[in-house]
Amino acid sequence: MSANHEHAHHHHEKESFLSKYIFTMDHKMIGKQYLVTAIIMGIIGIGLSGLFRLKLGWPDTKFPILEAILGSDWAPDGVLDSNMYLGLVTMHGTIMVFFVLTGGLSGTFSNLLIPLQIGARDMASGLLNMISFWLFFLSSIIMTFSLFIETGPAMAGWTIYPPLSALEEAQSGSGLGMTLWLFSMAIFIASSLLGGINYIVTVLNLRTKGMKMTRLPLTIWAFFVTAIIGLLSFPVLLSAAVLLIMDRMGGTSFYLSDITLSSGALDQTGGSPILYEHLFWFLGHPEVYIVLLPALGISSEVVATNARKPIFGYRAMIGSILAIGFLSFIVWGHHMFVTGMNPFLGGVFTFTTLLIAIPSAVKVFNYLTTLWKGNIILTPAMVFSVGMVSTFITGGITGIILADSALDISQHDTYFVVGHFHIVMGMSAILAMFAGIYHWFPKMYGKMMNKKLGYIHFWITIVCGYGVFLPMHFLGEGGMPRRYYENTAFPMFDHFLDLNTIISVFAIVGVLGQVVFFFNFFWSAFRGPRASKNPWKSTTLEWTTPIDHVHGNWDGPIPEVHRWPYDYSKPGQEEDYVMQDVPLGENEEEH
Amino acid sequence: MEKLLIFLVIAIVAIAVVQIVRVYELASKVKGGGVEETVTKGENALNANLFILFMIAFFGSIIWMMFVYGDGGLGEAASVHGQEIDSLLTLNWWIILPVFFITNTLLFVFVRMYLYNPNRRSLYFAHSNKLEMIWTVFPSMALAVIIIFGLKTWNSVMNPEEKGTIIEIYAQQFGWTARYAGEDNKLGRADYKLITNDNPLGVISKEGIEGSYAYLEKKIEGLESKLAENKVGDEYLLPDAKIKEMTDKLESLKRQKYRIKGGIDKGIEPGVFEMANNDILTKELHLIKGETYTFQFRSKDIIHSAWFPHFRAQMNCVPGMITNFTFTPNKTTLEVRADEFTKEHYKKINEFHNERMRNIGEPEEEVEFDFVLMCNKICGASHYNMQMKVIVETEEEFKAWIESQKQIDGGTPKYWGSQTVAEAK
Repeated sequence: MSANHEHAHHHHEKESFLSKYIFTMDHKMIGKQYLVTAIIMGIIGIGLSGLFRLKLGWPDTKFPILEAILGSDWAPDGVLDSNMYLGLVTMHGTIMVFFVLTGGLSGTFSNLLIPLQIGARDMASGLLNMISFWLFFLSSIIMTFSLFIETGPAMAGWTIYPPLSALEEAQSGSGLGMTLWLFSMAIFIASSLLGGINYIVTVLNLRTKGMKMTRLPLTIWAFFVTAIIGLLSFPVLLSAAVLLIMDRMGGTSFYLSDITLSSGALDQTGGSPILYEHLFWFLGHPEVYIVLLPALGISSEVVATNARKPIFGYRAMIGSILAIGFLSFIVWGHHMFVTGMNPFLGGVFTFTTLLIAIPSAVKVFNYLTTLWKGNIILTPAMVFSVGMVSTFITGGITGIILADSALDISQHDTYFVVGHFHIVMGMSAILAMFAGIYHWFPKMYGKMMNKKLGYIHFWITIVCGYGVFLPMHFLGEGGMPRRYYENTAFPMFDHFLDLNTIISVFAIVGVLGQVVFFFNFFWSAFRGPRASKNPWKSTTLEWTTPIDHVHGNWDGPIPEVHRWPYDYSKPGQEEDYVMQDVPLGENEEEH
Repeated sequence: MEKLLIFLVIAIVAIAVVQIVRVYELASKVKGGGVEETVTKGENALNANLFILFMIAFFGSIIWMMFVYGDGGLGEAASVHGQEIDSLLTLNWWIILPVFFITNTLLFVFVRMYLYNPNRRSLYFAHSNKLEMIWTVFPSMALAVIIIFGLKTWNSVMNPEEKGTIIEIYAQQFGWTARYAGEDNKLGRADYKLITNDNPLGVISKEGIEGSYAYLEKKIEGLESKLAENKVGDEYLLPDAKIKEMTDKLESLKRQKYRIKGGIDKGIEPGVFEMANNDILTKELHLIKGETYTFQFRSKDIIHSAWFPHFRAQMNCVPGMITNFTFTPNKTTLEVRADEFTKEHYKKINEFHNERMRNIGEPEEEVEFDFVLMCNKICGASHYNMQMKVIVETEEEFKAWIESQKQIDGGTPKYWGSQTVAEAK
């Protein structure tokens, strides 16, 4: 704690530009650095999807814009090259999953909110926190850079299964592009681990007086469990990546066996590509919850605040976060039902996977009960959160079908899967991330974002999001495989031609619609009207801090906490919210 | 046209943003900074109504798509286990769709019903063990049904009571080969080191081994003479890196030769060559209606996935591993073509197909229904076009076809008949 006290005394010192904005150790600034980096990566990530949707929506049209952006090697005469198509798909997946929804979501909001909401002066280690961001930044640069090399970026799908990803002869992107991908990911994982350790230690050790674990806002619970999941699963991906690097560069054969290429039989033999799949999905599935739990945490907070009602079943919500966190480690095999795994094992994974539906259902019902008989204010953050609950339901429901190994035989790797995970993981997390940005923007920049633009942004996003991903379920039911450069090689899919065009129109409008957000974000950060101290009349501690950031968060002593974070519309109180640092009145029960 | 559309969309969005900002700036001048913090009654109501409108459009579009695309176009499953999978899928939809519609409706309706009213307080309702219990127990019960039926189907599909006629499906970038076991219903063994142009699957046969020796020796000789040509005294004319590459390759080839000699050639048991001799390689997959087949999947280079959408069958092809899937086709290609659903559906497909053909200036054609095998695991540039035609037919038709093919040893196959198959089992 001594470090924290020192901060309190030194916060009046004038800081240089470099130490304030670049090599800062202040968690609030680091959170903003994460956010801005993630927004820029997000522009790239969704931009790529817009490019390949052009090809999928209009398979026979030439788009000069493709040649202008990708160059005449990858899009001669405006016709996308089939290798580059896979490159775009791969990079879109990688950037969105890791750099936007993992680094962006956890990095921004864990950093911003953990110290503010638990009542700490800063993270446990400001230095680790700074290193964590700069590693994230470095890995973002490397990943982005790999888009510009001659042999193209990684092209083996975001899961980069070997041997495809291990052998340059199999695919041009498995050369330098894949090397850069692997190194970028290794750095990213290091960043994520440093961040995760910091979050865990901070939540455990630096809570202010009175902030029991059972008084933590659900956001903090979500970030805390997310950090634990990340800490346990990311090292496994790191080892998978290191083994792959060795197979590629060191002549080992962890993943390679019995392979013949046009240049002849490969020397390396005796490994198993399935080993990689196990290692990858041991992270890959928890990764879904690394993305989703913060989203659920943010939504809980926003929904309770704007329904002016305590979140229903606070302890059940914590219980389901923990249950989801635990179960997420024993379900990875459902990505591998058709790899030839032992059918008994497949049965076990079906069982554990379907179990996750129970805590998820509890969460959904608790959200609905929180809204029931509430007094709902539809702020921009709130509309995004309502949208998030809807996508969580819609995407979760179709997950039940994919979890069922028998059904997965005929759904695996079809567009049904693409539709499912984009709704449940992609849209839910993105909507919650936007909700978080609109909700905590006043805390980050001391300014307000434009409300009307927020509404416009929401309606474009949800309509286009559903417009893109709902029809994909029908493509999948029709047997259409994902990651096909064009579907016209199979005339049996021709009746889907117009559906694919519709999807592409929604996708492109949705992508362009994000301009509304970018504009609103950057414009408001500089020119938005000044926010008041607690604009949403919320109960949690971050709204007790001064509007202008101070290093150390509170000018005076850290407030003491006397109650749980959801005292909204408590009977017998004057206002419809009571902040956490207000002592319990006489004869007042906690909740 | 599309370019124009895209341009228009961009332009409209840009204009909208500029206009809104202008209005906003004027408004905030009039009202002061607090305007962004309070949601007006009008805005609240507008968004709540939009949610209801959205819900109607959302549900409407789903129901519309169910009518137009709900059959998926694949038609009824064309295999015995596929029909089990289809009915399991239907059961699942009947359980989860009501949940989907009800919960989404509650969500949007609650938002509309309980809109902010300054004269009202929300209900302080923090927890209820009874409710929590209800929504733990009910989903658990629904899931129990799903799990029980799911595992029952899974076990019956993956652990078939008997193995069928064996066919190997061999995957490589970017095509498929089928290998029939021939009269003895025994596939010849194979080894990736024996793969040559004449022996594309690396089948272990006398000719296969000799062929690979010849192939390797020719390559070794070629490299050695190339190295010798470039050697002047102790120096090479080519750059060091190139020489290193060549000598590495040379060593690798020699190693391979010794591995064949010591590993495969040495350990040939009696009967191994015979197993291979009557194998038949084909580029089309012909199956007999009602016959049970056990497919064995192998891959030459990277992971592929054999996806038979009409049979609801899928299995990965993994280098270094042999995977299996057993199924029984129960409709011939001609039967499916004659089916009312297929006729109707292919009329639609032909309309779309030929509209596209006209647009790209190619001759129109009549697309007919066919079973197909496609690759469903990303495998590189031509992944999207890695396919093999599958034909299900009667026993007589199959006999005529298989007897027009060639065995590995050059002989003409003689149809083994279902009886032989039963005996061989």
